[in-house]
Order: sequence, then C-alpha cells, then structure tokens
Amino acid sequence: MLCQFCQEREATIHFTNVIGTRVEKIHICQDCADEKGFDYLKKSNFEKGDLLAGLMNLAAGVEKPGKVRKRCSGCDRTYADFRKTGKLGCSQCYEVFRTELDQVLTSIHGDTRHKGKVPERFGQRIDLSRKIHELQRELQNTIELEQYERAAEIRDEINSMKDSGTGTEQG
Amino acid sequence: MSDITELMKTPTGWLSDEGEESEIVLSSRVRLARNLDDNTFTHIASSEMLESIRSEVSAAVMDNRLIDDPLMMEMDGMSGADRLLLAERRLISHEMVMNFKNRALITGMDESLGVMVNEEDHLRMQSMESGLNLRKAFKRVSGFDDELDKRLDFAFSDRLGYLTACTTNVGTGLRVSAMLHLPGLVHNQDIRQVIDGLRQVRLTVRGSYGEGSEVSGNIFQISNSITLGLSEEDTVANMESHIRKVLEFEKKARESLLREARTLLEDKVWRSYGLLKTARLVTSKEAMSLVSAIRLGVGLKIINDVKLSILNEILIMIQPMHLQHHYEREMKAEERDRARADYIRSRLEGR
Ligand SMILES: [Zn+2]
Ligand SMILES: [Zn+2]
Repeated sequence: MLCQFCQEREATIHFTNVIGTRVEKIHICQDCADEKGFDYLKKSNFEKGDLLAGLMNLAAGVEKPGKVRKRCSGCDRTYADFRKTGKLGCSQCYEVFRTELDQVLTSIHGDTRHKGKVPERFGQRIDLSRKIHELQRELQNTIELEQYERAAEIRDEINSMKDSGTGTEQG
Repeated sequence: MSDITELMKTPTGWLSDEGEESEIVLSSRVRLARNLDDNTFTHIASSEMLESIRSEVSAAVMDNRLIDDPLMMEMDGMSGADRLLLAERRLISHEMVMNFKNRALITGMDESLGVMVNEEDHLRMQSMESGLNLRKAFKRVSGFDDELDKRLDFAFSDRLGYLTACTTNVGTGLRVSAMLHLPGLVHNQDIRQVIDGLRQVRLTVRGSYGEGSEVSGNIFQISNSITLGLSEEDTVANMESHIRKVLEFEKKARESLLREARTLLEDKVWRSYGLLKTARLVTSKEAMSLVSAIRLGVGLKIINDVKLSILNEILIMIQPMHLQHHYEREMKAEERDRARADYIRSRLEGR
C-alpha cells in the first residue's frame, strides 16, 4: 500500500484512530512520518485524540458533509485537495482556508503566528507594528505603577507612530 | 568537461575536519524555503510557469555577491546517474532525482552554498559547514536570502511568515540539521533515550546514509521540525544547545567505554582498520560499520595516522554513483564491492 502523503513510497506505519464514532485508518511511510513528526505525536499524544484530530483528518481526507466547498481563486483548489496531498496550491490558500488551517498549524507547530525574518518590502511595516505593541505593553506598566506623566508621553508616541504608519499599513 | 566533472574534482568544503566538534559532528546544514509571490506552488505549476520561475531565480542568483562563479545545472539536461550523484553529495534531494523537469541546482564550486530551484518550494537555499557550525551556516544562507530578497518578491504574510507548499515549513521556512556520529551511545544503548528526549522537544532524528530505517554507521541526523512561532535565531540556538547536550552524553559514553573495556575497544578498532586496509570485497553496509569503528578510534586517539577528513570523504565516495564516477564505468553490485574495497584501501594508504 502506498503512503497517503507522498503517494510514492510504501507505507510502513499503519494505525487506526478513533474520533468519536468514526474510525480512520492511517497509512504512512517512515520518511513522511519522520518529517511530519508522527512518531512524536504517536508516542506521546496518541491518547489525546483532539490534538491528533487535525492531522488525522488531513491524512484521511474525510469531508464534513453539508459544507459549502470553498475554492481558492489563486489556484482553483479546495481544502479537500490539500487534505489529499498535504500541499497547498498557492500562497493565497493560506488566507482562503485560514480557519481550517489554524488547527493544522497548531498541531504541527504549536503556534499560528510567525516570529522571525521579514522580507525587506514588509520590513518597515512590521517593525512599526511590533514597536507599537511593545509601547502598549509599557504603557500598561506605567499606568499600573501610577507614572502618569510617562504614560502620557508613551501615549503620544504611540499615536504619532500610528499616524505615520497608516499610509503603509493599508497598502 | 561537464559541470559535474568539474564539481567532483574540487574538494567538498564541508567534508573537512576543521569544524568545531568534528570528532562527533560531521556536518551542519541550514536550509531556507521560499516561494515567488503570484505563482502557484511547484507541484501544480505548469511547465511554462516553472520555466519562467527558473529563469527569474537563476538570473537573481547569478547576480549575487555571495557565491563566486555559481554553477547552474539544469536537471532536465542531465542523466539520471548524474542526478543521483548530486543527491549522494547532498546537493539535491531524492525528490528532485525523480521529478527533474524544469528543475535546477545552482551552487558554488565548494558546495557550501547553493539553491535548488522548483523543488517542493520554488527556492530551497542551502548552506553546509563541516563540524558543528550552525550559526555560520545560518548566517551565510540568511545573507544569501537577503541578497535574493532584493531581486525577487517572496510569498509572505504578516501573520504566517514565509508561505510554503507544505504547512510543515511555513513561517521561517527554516530547517537546521546536523549529522552526528554516535557510536558510544549506540553501544551503551542510551541512544534510544536520547532520541526520545530529542523528540520530546520536537526535534526529528533519523539514521542517515542508510537505506530504510536501519541506522548505518552510527550516524544520525538531527533537525528541527517547528518553523512557526519561533524566530530563526531561537531555532538555531535551541538546536545548538540540544546538540551540545547530546555531545556531552556521547563523550561520557566514549570515556566509560575506554575505561571499562579498553582492550576490547582497541581490538575492535584495529581489526576494523586491518580489514579495510586488506579486504578485496566490501559491501556498503560493512564499510559503514568499519569506518564507524575507525572514526571512533581516531576520536579516542587509538589510531593517530588517519585524518577524519579522509574518513568523511570515504563515506561520500563509497556510494554507488560516486564509485562509478570515480572509476569511470558502470558497475554491478559485486563489481562495486570490489571497487569500494580498492578505493578505501588506496585512501587509507594515503594515496
Ligand atoms: Zn510518504
Ligand atoms: Zn491557492
């Protein structure tokens, strides 16, 4: 039997997952299992069905009945296509299937927000929003410490940053 | 002379033994996955689209300042044997050996920095260093990324970072890995526990240079699997600290082996050396295990006249396509066993 993920190598790991009343069989090769971290999940979290559910659905390609099929306008693919292949069609898919993907991303990475490098053309915008975020936290602190003069300064700083940022933020 | 022949003639930088902790760590590798905005991902892109991506990327790469004299190799114009050769050298993936249409590899002559074009993602940049040198490898590939970023529009979102074909790479698109030789931990059987521990912190461990699940030559590859929610610097720093832990365990295992079973160990090391210096037929599996013993012997100063760099080179050169390329002819498995034995003898005799 071929691996459900790569459709290339022989599946060497087979397991059955029970979610509620539904029984799903997973067939996966060692390489894909290693890459997708199944081994880790299987060992330490196999009992926690909820954590696995996202990946399991992804592997089994089960459609929830009665749902309208969304299609990505960038690549003309559906979420079911993603579940069949494990690959998205284009970068727009990440927005189109945002709700569905959040669960998948959480189960793989334990997070749904990027921290890290930014392309130059996005750089200024993100720097600004990060700085504003930090200042807001500092503002909170100063208010709690009743340092109102400093708080007013920070507030003004945030407002001026927001003003200067609006042009790019919408672009 | 073909590009490949030229590449084969120059020494591979990351096989040297000058890197940190090179007695245990063979090599460090860092790769970044990137895609061009406004194009579908490789697996569903049309031939025309892939072709235009290939020319756009190669124009950008040929123009960069970080690789002198980049070598551009289009996969479609290459024989299957040559593609396998590049895969054995770890310059391209096995996926690319199979799916080669409109794909390319662009690399520097020393093979320490390069990019695969139209693999699972449009760009897979890769940097390799010898020994434990993740920071340097990351710095180089990240600098390369900065250069290309000036010429190419990468698919990116504020929320999810760099967008990749597979959800396992989205965010930083960063895969940091190191190849470790762990005979001490395999011998005292602590390896199981170490692997479990690494998996607990979401690192992936696999045997390498081997076929299937069997770990060949006690060589393991450790890599990160989380790319979202963790910065590049933190990913690299985490990996390094976990690897240093493993090194500590391996060193302790080696010390106690030396303390408790010195004669047995010396016997095993010298027998392995003797075998490889005299044998006329050596299978790949046998070679891996004997080289592993000699490597351990060199690390523990039992053997002093063999350089680690030569052992590293042997590991690459005894693979099927490398042997065929070296002896300039196609060979059946038995012929390769003979060629492998010849090659290893000549290297150990310092020729
Ligand atoms: Zn697979
Ligand atoms: Zn799409």
